[in-house]
Amino acid sequence: MDATKMAAVGLSASYGRGPAITDINLEFGPNSATAIIGPSGCGKSTFIRCLNRMHETAPRATVTGKVFLDGEDIYEQDPTAVRRRIGMVFQRPNPFATMTIFDNVAAALRFNGRHSREETDKIVYESLQAAALWEEVKDHLFAGATSLSGGQQQRLCIARALAAQPEVLLMDEPCSALDPISTAKVEDLIFTLKRTYTVIIVTHNMQQAARVADRTAFFYLGKLIEVNDTKEIFERPKEKLTEGYVSGRFG
Amino acid sequence: MPIVAERKAFSAGLDELNENMATLAELAKLSIRKAVATLETRPEAIASDGRDVFALDQEIYALKQQVVKGCVDLIALHAPVAKDLRLITTSLEISTDLDRIGRYSRDIVEISNLLGEEARSPTAANVDLVRLGNLAIDIVDRALTAFAARDAEAVADIVRRDDPIDDLHDKVFREIIERMTDHSISPRAGAEFVLINRYFERLADHAVNIGLHVTYMVTGVRPRVKAEGAKGPFGDPS
Ligand SMILES: Nc1ncnc2c1ncn2[C@@H]1O[C@H](COP(=O)(O)OP(=O)(O)O)[C@@H](O)[C@H]1O
Ligand SMILES: [Mg+2]
Repeated sequence: MDATKMAAVGLSASYGRGPAITDINLEFGPNSATAIIGPSGCGKSTFIRCLNRMHETAPRATVTGKVFLDGEDIYEQDPTAVRRRIGMVFQRPNPFATMTIFDNVAAALRFNGRHSREETDKIVYESLQAAALWEEVKDHLFAGATSLSGGQQQRLCIARALAAQPEVLLMDEPCSALDPISTAKVEDLIFTLKRTYTVIIVTHNMQQAARVADRTAFFYLGKLIEVNDTKEIFERPKEKLTEGYVSGRFG
Repeated sequence: MPIVAERKAFSAGLDELNENMATLAELAKLSIRKAVATLETRPEAIASDGRDVFALDQEIYALKQQVVKGCVDLIALHAPVAKDLRLITTSLEISTDLDRIGRYSRDIVEISNLLGEEARSPTAANVDLVRLGNLAIDIVDRALTAFAARDAEAVADIVRRDDPIDDLHDKVFREIIERMTDHSISPRAGAEFVLINRYFERLADHAVNIGLHVTYMVTGVRPRVKAEGAKGPFGDPS
């Protein structure tokens, strides 16, 4: 990896009791996708929620260590400003149910200062284009968001995240509630997005990690066991634990 | 402790692959032995050994097809990774080497059959072909032992043993030309000897290939033994 866009340094977190993740050191390059894999409960979600300061909103949550974005520790910055630069897409599509498709995307702009009507139209259009949803919704932008299929709703959530013009996109199992065709569309989208953004994707689907990620990090029991180019992780993992997990022998 | 998954269907598929590969290796070893024997004990033994080699070649081909199908099924159904994936891709490659070994053995027997009409065996004609054949048997045996034992280190020794084989091949080639020139063998016999000579050298190249595949299978790293463009294992023996 040549340059670093984001880096976790000595990052640990808990929900008040024992640690959920311990001493994670992990770097993310610009214009690349990194997959976080590992069995349920190993701390994948906790880890990426620390990367945009979401974790600390949970009751009794603690975080220690540093997270650098462009060389500056996000834990010394305003959390709202941090979350604007680091967008997040969740496992279940969570569009605002009472809003139209258009307003779901435009909603992201309200947190981003004032925009003229033309600017808003332009950003909504560009975000829906970038999320590969524009062609499917351009004729009913003012229909309710819940009229969309699950896969379309997830792309709508991606469009909403992109409208805030983030630099980093965190995705927590973004395809686990989607059918194979929708999954393929979202994966294609990730493939395109990583040219522009730093993408960090949690997935329990090994093949998905293999398909979309340049680098893959394997977590186990709250620790980072191994990180490497995705091809290395799947062809010749160094650690026995990684080998066992990626070959489906435990997890 | 990790929660262990059994993956019974996958394990059964890998077991079957390993058994088929072991059988394929035994058949290939046998066919090259019998092929070399037809050069020594002519013409009486040629008939029976020769028939065996033809049958072995067919068996090897059929089993190789089965291995290929089994590997494709494993890849399609189980999306293997890491050392499972390396075992499967390596088995595919080695099965091709073994198929070629069976095929060369058959080619050698075909020539022995033709030479049955000639008065002189290569040994009688003072051509060192049988020694080369025995070296080929030896290097193939070593490669297949390395495969069975998953021995990543054996490749260095196998590659080292390929050099004297190349040298002997060149020496035998000169001998054949000499015998043809002084008319102690017919041009026809000489031409057939040249082919067998080349087949033995190629058999040894397949043994080197197998050794290299084994190293990759075990370590995940493809060894680089000879420089690019050099004659030998990195060529495309066929
Ligand atoms: N809100 C929570 N409160 C308490 N413990 C939690 C909470 N969320 C997760 N945990 C615990 O933290 C650990 C890591 O969980 P998580 O980060 O969700 O794992 P993953 O995303 O890899 O499945 C687990 O032991 C889990 O039980
Ligand atoms: Mg999770």
